[in-house]
Amino acid sequence: MKRAGWYLLAGAVAGFGGVLGFHGGGTPAPAALGHPKPGGTSAAPAPSAPSAGPARSTGPKARQGSATGQAKSATGSVVGYGYGELSVTVTVRGSQITDVSVPLLRTAEPYSQQLAQQVIPMLKSEVLAAHSARIHGVSGATYTSEAYAQSIQSALDKLHAG
Amino acid sequence: MVAPGSRQGRKRSQALPQPARPRPALARAGLVLAGAGLGAVTALAIVDETGAELRATGGAATFLGSLTGLVGMYLALLMVLLVSRIPAIERVLGQDGLLRWHRRLAPWPISLLIAHALFITIGYAQAARSGLGHQVGVLLTRYPDVLIATVGLGIMCVIGILSIRAIRRRLRRETWWLVHLYMYLALALSFAHVLALGPSFVGHPLTQVVWSVAWAATAGLVLCYRFGLPVVRSMRHRLVVTEVRQEGPGVVSVICSGRNLDKLAIAGGQFFFWRFLTRSMWWQAHPYTVSALPQPPYVRLTVKAVGDHSAAVARLRPGTRIVVEGPYGAFTKYAQQRPQALLVAAGIGVTALRSLLEDMPRNAAPVVLLRGTRPEDLVLRKEVADLVRYRRGRLHELVGTREQAMLDERSLPRLVPDLHRRDIFVCGPEGFVTTIVDLAARLGIPAEAVHHEAYAL
Repeated sequence: MKRAGWYLLAGAVAGFGGVLGFHGGGTPAPAALGHPKPGGTSAAPAPSAPSAGPARSTGPKARQGSATGQAKSATGSVVGYGYGELSVTVTVRGSQITDVSVPLLRTAEPYSQQLAQQVIPMLKSEVLAAHSARIHGVSGATYTSEAYAQSIQSALDKLHAG
Repeated sequence: MVAPGSRQGRKRSQALPQPARPRPALARAGLVLAGAGLGAVTALAIVDETGAELRATGGAATFLGSLTGLVGMYLALLMVLLVSRIPAIERVLGQDGLLRWHRRLAPWPISLLIAHALFITIGYAQAARSGLGHQVGVLLTRYPDVLIATVGLGIMCVIGILSIRAIRRRLRRETWWLVHLYMYLALALSFAHVLALGPSFVGHPLTQVVWSVAWAATAGLVLCYRFGLPVVRSMRHRLVVTEVRQEGPGVVSVICSGRNLDKLAIAGGQFFFWRFLTRSMWWQAHPYTVSALPQPPYVRLTVKAVGDHSAAVARLRPGTRIVVEGPYGAFTKYAQQRPQALLVAAGIGVTALRSLLEDMPRNAAPVVLLRGTRPEDLVLRKEVADLVRYRRGRLHELVGTREQAMLDERSLPRLVPDLHRRDIFVCGPEGFVTTIVDLAARLGIPAEAVHHEAYAL
């Protein structure tokens, strides 16, 4: 057929533009699901610089007050696990852990992201019940659980040291 | 035995329905749609990628992996559509046109899907900071549906290798065809992991639905046009072998009879896939041209013994039932662009030429060239001569070796002085067709006015 290439190209440009337009101007992109939001209740801001090392400490980002009975929070080091990396922010009041959030969760692909997002709430409730990093973890998500516990422990260490 | 002989005087209009006209605009619309899909999947892979994901360890390789996977699967979808024989497209491009596109496209999906597997493994291994070997194990065992998709990719690779021309030539046509069927299995195996793991699909119900519908529709088209329609047609016409007649050295005509042949819309020059229901032949269907248009209750095909199947056709017994798929082919009068036609055939190519000639009007004045090494190779020459005479045309028989009966820039214009007001229809073995098509190009005849149908041996 004559000029077959041009017809193909015209279609390709239209299809490409169409998807871009739909994605940009359309309904809220479902892709947003892939991007972890910083925990809203955390007093600590999310680490802004992308961190590359598997276990590089980001340091305690904020410490509010020092008197017992007042809430303090710290963000644990970024811990790499098999499918990505995460760090956890812990808020304590006295010896009680009152809140846990995950400001950083980065995975190479959406499947692991989805898994992690299923697992993280379970880990959170385990930590809130145990008031320590000594948790059983979620079976089937051993690596994620270990990384989670490790990051919490480093956050607690920072709080105690401070 | 009653059988159709030369029926140069028959008026088609009173007997047979005409097949639908080819509409090139529909094929062009198909091309634009195919391009739109390609643009869309490329964009899809890009819009779902965020800068942070791309910069993450292994992010670049993972992105390339999902891009190649998505585009590769889309091209595989187009490959299936090209062989699904959608009638509107087939009428324009013809069966061999579709297969040519299919063959030209074939290397792309396979290489893209292999690249996809490599990139994903590398990307995930980088992200997990593990070795490639370890990552392969993790991917196969811990990610859903990856194992069966890998089996599917393996099948595709085997078929891809067998399809390389040098290897394919050594295989029997039937073997190759059977192996080729496994491509459907391979694609089915690969389907699940796309939805379970693809960045453009996980958590995106809209793309999941569109993608699934596209594949389901393609499967439906294949089932409908390659299975359902042939079954319905065969049941409707119930063709059986009536007579097998020797036409020349190694060439036989099979006269079939059937019901409702006055309702069969077929154009001269078209062919069917014929499946003769004998114990040794029922499982394979071969393309043979209809050498005489239906004269209810009869229709005729003419076959030259070049392979196992065509040799077995000569031994068919009257009463053998037949299942047909078709008619296919764009080598018809509808392709003609200019006022008159030059028909050229070599060897068994005369079959398509003969039925095409039969389809031309009484005032067509065609010029016909028949080419053969020996006089007895010009099968059906008596019938062709009658048809040509009835249409006030001219017939030239070129007998001899290639050197003795040469067709070149000097001899062809001498034989056909009004070449520039004629379309050329050429039919025969691949080498002969290529020669004539090249010659036409050198004589300045535009490609749209040159129509060809080659018989691969």
